[in-house]
Amino acid sequence: MSGNGGRKAWPWVLLGLAAGLYAGWAAFPSSGLYAGALTPHRMLVLAAALKLVYLLAGTAWAFRCRDRLEIGNPARPAWFLLSLGLLATFVGQLSLAPLQVVRNETPFPSVADIYYLLSYPFLIAALLVFLNAYREAGFPLGSVAERAAILSGVGVLAAVVAVPILQPVAAGGGPLLERILTVAYPVLDLVLLLPLALLLRVALHLRGSHAGEVWVLLLSGFVFLCAGDICFAWFQSLGAQHLDPFVHATFILAYGLVAGGAYRQLQLLES
Amino acid sequence: MTTTEAVETMVDVMAPYIGDMMARSATEAHCKKLGIAGGAVGPEQLEALLGKLGGGLNIFLGRDKAASVIAEARAALAALEGSR
Repeated sequence: MSGNGGRKAWPWVLLGLAAGLYAGWAAFPSSGLYAGALTPHRMLVLAAALKLVYLLAGTAWAFRCRDRLEIGNPARPAWFLLSLGLLATFVGQLSLAPLQVVRNETPFPSVADIYYLLSYPFLIAALLVFLNAYREAGFPLGSVAERAAILSGVGVLAAVVAVPILQPVAAGGGPLLERILTVAYPVLDLVLLLPLALLLRVALHLRGSHAGEVWVLLLSGFVFLCAGDICFAWFQSLGAQHLDPFVHATFILAYGLVAGGAYRQLQLLES
Repeated sequence: MTTTEAVETMVDVMAPYIGDMMARSATEAHCKKLGIAGGAVGPEQLEALLGKLGGGLNIFLGRDKAASVIAEARAALAALEGSR
């Protein structure tokens, strides 16, 4: 690998190692590594730190993308909305961090959920603005029938996956606010999946290019975000909180990939 | 210059930035909208096409970079025309 290639690869190696570390924790919690040096508290602190770093970097890079695009560029508001969505998630994570660091606790629900929920309208709006920008510029988004078929397919798939997971959560005996929030996140993710599915078509057309790399990273990040929320709801419904490290892994991957996508776009704009 | 030659030249220039498939579908879609069909394509039609493609590239690359890619496409078209 060349020096330049190595420099480009190490953030991804680091992200993969971090996700692997948390997946390993979920799979082998009593192994020497996790029983000794990487105690649950240290792992929680590390997860909080990684999420904060990726979210802050993603916010800053998405905002700089907005800044690099001239006023009137249809993609400019989309990058701004994406940066606001990441900022809201960052503030949510930041409000949890002191409790995680000092008390080794992740309360749910908490004030962080206000910010996490607030991030969704921004993220969904960002994707819709991207879609509109591509449509206005004459890029192929497919015929109305194709788009309807994609949306219906995603809707049906989402219902098949999400309903069996969410039903026991909604009907469970926990506090009402906790149940509402546990269901709300995956439902908002499913709304997020709809524009994502349409953007996937654009991303496929962009494959093999600089812009294609941006969208592969962004879309993968959003898919992991959806997966994280659905896993969280699922593990809650199963009472399997020992699987939470998987949730940490998916969120770390989600934030890292979205931040990477924003960075790649910034490189493209600054090249 | 034929429409096919012009499209191929533009696609070659834009492909590294937005991919071969996107460059081709966008160019063909704009050709259709501008009424550029098979056969020969005139300089005014080419300019109109480059203008439309530049607007699209703006979204991915920003104004300055998009302008430089369009300038590159213009130069490649001129070189193709000059080689006849």
